[in-house]
Formats: sequence, structure tokens, C-alpha cells
Amino acid sequence: MTQASTRIRLLVGVAAIMVAASACTGAASPSGATTYKIGYSNGGGVGNGFREEQVCTAKAQALVSGQVSGLTTIHRNTDAAGQLSDIRDLISKGVNAIVFNPNDKAALNPALQEAKAAGIKTVSVDAYVTDPNTYNLYNNQVKYAELGAKWLFDQLGGKGTVYYMRGLAGHPADSDRDIGFKNILKDYPNIKVVPNANGVATGWDPPTATKLINDFLASGQYDTIQGIWTSGMDSMVVDAIKAAHKPFVPIVGADLGAFVKQLLDPVGYPGLKGVAVTNTAAVGGAGIALALKLLKGEAVTTDPSASQPNTVLLKPVAVDNLSDNSKAQLKSWQSVPGLDPNWPLGIQIDGWTTYTPAQAIACKGPGG
Amino acid sequence: MSALSGTVDTARARPADALAAWARRNAWDLGLVGFLVGLLVFTKLIQPSYGVPGVQGLAISVLPLALAAVAQAIVVLSGGIDLSLGSMMALVNVVAATQMQGQSEEFGVAVVLGALLLGLALGAVNGSLIVLTRVPDIVVTLAMSFVWAGFALLVLPTPGGGSAKWLPELVTGSLGNEWIPKAAVVLIIVVALIWIPVRRSWLGLSLYAIGSNRLAAFRSGVSVGRTRILAYTLMGLFAALGGLSLTASTGIGIPVPGPYTLLSVAAVVLGGVSLAGGRGSVFGPILGVIILQLIRTDMTFLDVDTNLATVLQGLILIGVVMIGSLVQIRASRA
Repeated sequence: MTQASTRIRLLVGVAAIMVAASACTGAASPSGATTYKIGYSNGGGVGNGFREEQVCTAKAQALVSGQVSGLTTIHRNTDAAGQLSDIRDLISKGVNAIVFNPNDKAALNPALQEAKAAGIKTVSVDAYVTDPNTYNLYNNQVKYAELGAKWLFDQLGGKGTVYYMRGLAGHPADSDRDIGFKNILKDYPNIKVVPNANGVATGWDPPTATKLINDFLASGQYDTIQGIWTSGMDSMVVDAIKAAHKPFVPIVGADLGAFVKQLLDPVGYPGLKGVAVTNTAAVGGAGIALALKLLKGEAVTTDPSASQPNTVLLKPVAVDNLSDNSKAQLKSWQSVPGLDPNWPLGIQIDGWTTYTPAQAIACKGPGG
Repeated sequence: MSALSGTVDTARARPADALAAWARRNAWDLGLVGFLVGLLVFTKLIQPSYGVPGVQGLAISVLPLALAAVAQAIVVLSGGIDLSLGSMMALVNVVAATQMQGQSEEFGVAVVLGALLLGLALGAVNGSLIVLTRVPDIVVTLAMSFVWAGFALLVLPTPGGGSAKWLPELVTGSLGNEWIPKAAVVLIIVVALIWIPVRRSWLGLSLYAIGSNRLAAFRSGVSVGRTRILAYTLMGLFAALGGLSLTASTGIGIPVPGPYTLLSVAAVVLGGVSLAGGRGSVFGPILGVIILQLIRTDMTFLDVDTNLATVLQGLILIGVVMIGSLVQIRASRA
């Protein structure tokens, strides 16, 4: 008797879930012929300001375009095999285009070929992939590293030791930045890189970066260097040096809110010299705009200087806190109220994104 | 004891009763099959276009997870646990990818065989350390997880390498009928070829025996130390297969271990294998990983926020195990 009633209760429960689920799919169906379903896959850096801003700009751009009926976002830390499975799930979902930040430049190609076979447009943002049918849209990362490294080595007068704090091992942007860093290093024979020529990997993970710099400070190695190059894990390094009551060495970081604030705060961070290199996270929003252009069959101007075909390259700029002019420029980047301090300040990309800063901060996509 | 002899008697007399007895013995696995079928129906309902590509994608996504689950299930059945599984897979993955890069297709076969031997050796090292030092398995394998992960980074500091062409082709696409993904066929063949003969041999019996009661097994003449080492060695073989399946699905080597250790433990629990050892099979955990993967796919279809999806996945895991245990307790009382 009790078993029978349990079974009935279970059946009712399952039925209720199914009804609720079918109601969900009904609401998500496209309302007109001109709207598209887009899938977004981000396979790492959850909780990292750059990745969060990137996802939020994608949602905002999808919303303001008015051409996206649904944006399915898969935003989780996983390996390349996990991202392959996420992309395949998006293919099964029947989206019209997939925009993604790749965990590896070659490993995702099997799923991207399946997407092509299913008639789905694919756009890689923040880094390139080697799949010939995918469009790539990213910041010129070689140039990014070159700008910061040149500034740093010039600050040291071409002589000294530099702590080289990199990003996520294997990420194409990290590999490109390494190329840029070493391009400049070649011209400065008296600059020494520690802990070794390949640097240390922070994984673009704030806790990892904090642990690395704390170990570096505690071991006394910090006292033997003259400069730090970071791949965007910058403000936590500055804070750790401050907490250890050590004098600041010149530091290279990105255009992240917290770091730019430190650069402009001579009272809180006396003697801090640094440069912020722009690396806009709005590639997420621009990627959605590019995917829509491809879906509508519009022409896209690509950059023949890139290593891959079908590539749109964005140009970085570097601004330090050494002159009044440059400080004024840093200050102008801070004009967006309510921006998360760990987000990059460049929240728009001219010619690509059309949302307002407030819409990006709201982080709301279409249909929810 | 009485249940066992009863089964043997009725098997001769009434086939219907024998079937019922078989169903009782495999109640958990059958329950999982039922849950999986229900989940597939649910998937089809929420995503009417779910079909061949979906099933193909499911099979290939599940392959490394399933091999990891089988590997973990074997040591858990023997009363142990291995927390270095994910690192082992990463090490085998990068060794295979670095050795196969730019080499001939035939050389790839040699690399695969070498990688399997490497897996056997890694597992044997873990097992021997546990048995010889008498340090608890959790401690030894946790420590070895750093050792193997470190070796993986030494072999290949950043993702790269390559793969023989036949390896990815072995697991992508379908065999004959488009509904039969090659990845699923490979999984079934590998598990059937390795596990079923082991299960039926003295090793399989000893493995379950030391898992359910080590002292009783010892007094019955089972060499406990040797069996434990062999269990870890066998685990190493499946970990190597898992690592090779990563090379096959991505075409490269990735030195940073993926989430396979913890997922394998989750699958073992969901698969009805007792963490105390001695009870369960390797088939339950395979069903477990398929269910976990399909739930994730459904979350994507339903546009559930990814962070919330992770929470729900954990809750479903606890829920299924709790309901399953309740049903079993009621069944044993009846």
C-alpha cells in the first residue's frame, strides 16, 4: 500500500517536471523569422573579472541587437574535453551560431567541424583557433605583451631582473603574449627573467596569483628583482607587496579597474609606477555582433597580418601613471559608475558593440 | 547464504523466479537503466530535435569519464580508493601525444601499447606503495596525484603534441547504423575484454573478497597484498585507456589534470558501488557517468544558469543515491 502510494507520488512529480520543462521550451521558441539562437561557451576563468565582463557584454549585445531570441551561456571551469562536450551540447540544442572563448587552439576543431556540417556559424573570441571555418576576434596579444615589456625594460634602463607572471598555460592568448614578451626581450640583453625564461603560470586565477607573489615575497626573492610583468593578475600583486611593507618595483598590468585605481592613488600606494595595457573584455559582445553579421551574410573586414585566416584583430594601447597627460587618460577610463573593480575598464569596442555600460553591468541577456 | 542456494535451486525449476532473482541482485543497475531511459525521454521532450548528433556527442563526452569510473570502481570494490586517477590520465595523455606527434600511423600503435604499459606501471607503483608502506590509500594516492601531475608538466609544459590519425577516427562517428556511436562500441569492447575475464577469474573473486572482508579473505587463503596491488594495476590500465581517450577526443596532450578524479568517485557512488568495498559492479558507474553527462546536457537545453546547474547536479546526485538506498532498505525488509 505504502509502496503503491510512493510510486504514484513519484509519477506525479515526474509528470509535473515534464510539464514545467515543456512550458520552458515553448517560451524560448523564436518569435519571428529574423531572430537567431546563439550559444556561448566559456571554458575557464569563472570568477575572473575579464571572463565575467566578457560573458556579460555578450549578453548585453545579444539583448540590444534585437535579433537574438535566445542566448544559451555555458560558463564553467573545465578542460578542453569538457568544452568539446559543451560545444556539442550547443550543436544539439540547434543554435544558429556559437561564440566561444577557446581552451585550446586545436583541441576544439572536431566539434567546430561538426558545427560547420550542421550549418552553424562559429566565432572564437579572446584567442584564435586553427579551424579554418571559424572566425576569430581577439585583442592583438603579441602586441599587448610587447607594449608592456618595452615600457618595463625601458623603465629599468635596459638592465635588471624581471619576475615574469604569465596567464593560463596553453591558452592561445598566453602563448601569443609569450611570443611578444620574448620579441622585446631579445633587444634587451641585460634584462634577466626569473624564475626562468618561461615564467610562472597564474592560470589567470586571482588566488593562484596571490599565492605566487606571497611565496615570492616570503622567500626574499622579491628583494632581488627590479620589475614585474603580469598577464593581468596585477592588483593582487600590488596589494601583496604593500601588505609585505616592501617598496614597489615598476609593474605591468592590464586596464583592470582595481589596478588603474592603484596607479592613480599616490597616497595609498606611494611610489607605485606602472602601466596598464588595454585588453578589452568586450570581445564577448563584439563576438555576438560578428556572429550576427555572419548569419545575415554581411561582409566582415579581416586582418591579413594575423596568423589565421578570418581574423579580426583589436589593437591594444598602453598608458602609464608617470605624466599628467597619461594620468588624465587613465582617469578618463574610470568614467563608468558601478563597474566591478576587477573588470577591465574598456567596456565597449567602437564599431562592434552598441549596448550602454549600464546594460553590460546589468548582465541580462534576451529571454531572461 | 540462504539467498544464494535458493537462487541456484529455483534456477533449475522455474525460469521466471530465476529472472526475478537476477533482477533483485541487479536492482540498482536496473534502476539506473530505468532512470537513464526516463532521462532520455525527458531530453527528447524538452529538445524534440535531440537525435543522432546528440547521442554521438554524448558517447564521445562520456568515454573518458566512463573509463575513469571503471578504473575507480575496481579499486573501490577492492576496498581502496585512488585520488591520483586524474593526474595519471593527464600523464598518459601527454606521453601519448608527445610520442605520436609527427610519427607514422604504425608507430602510433606502438605508442598506444606503450601508454597502456605505462598505465599498468603507474597503477602498480600506487598499489605497491600502499601495501609496502602501510600508509593509508587516501594519503598515498593524494601524494601521488601531485607526483603524476608534476611528471605530466615535465613531459609537456603547455598543451600540445599530436595524435595518430586513426586514434580520433576510432572514437568519432558511427559503426554501421548511425545510432551506434563508435565511442560506445569501443567502451563496451574494452570493458568486456578486460573486466569480464578478470571478474570471472580467481582475481575477480579475491578482489571482491578483500573488499568485503579483508580478514576473512586472508583466512580463506587470499593473498591480500598481492590482490590489492593487482587491483591498482588494473586501475592503472583503465586510467591509461582514459588518458588515451582524451588524446583521441582532443587530438593533443593537456598536462593539467581534468576533473576526472572527483567525477569518478561521484560516478562510483551513483553507480551503486559501496565505498566500503566488496559490493557493486563496474556497469553501474558507467551508467552513472552517462546520467551525469546527460543531466548537464539537459541543463543546457533548459537554459539553466551554469552555476545553478552545478548545484542541481550535486543535489540530483545526493537525491538519487538517497532514494535508491531507501528503496533497497524497504525491499530488504519486505
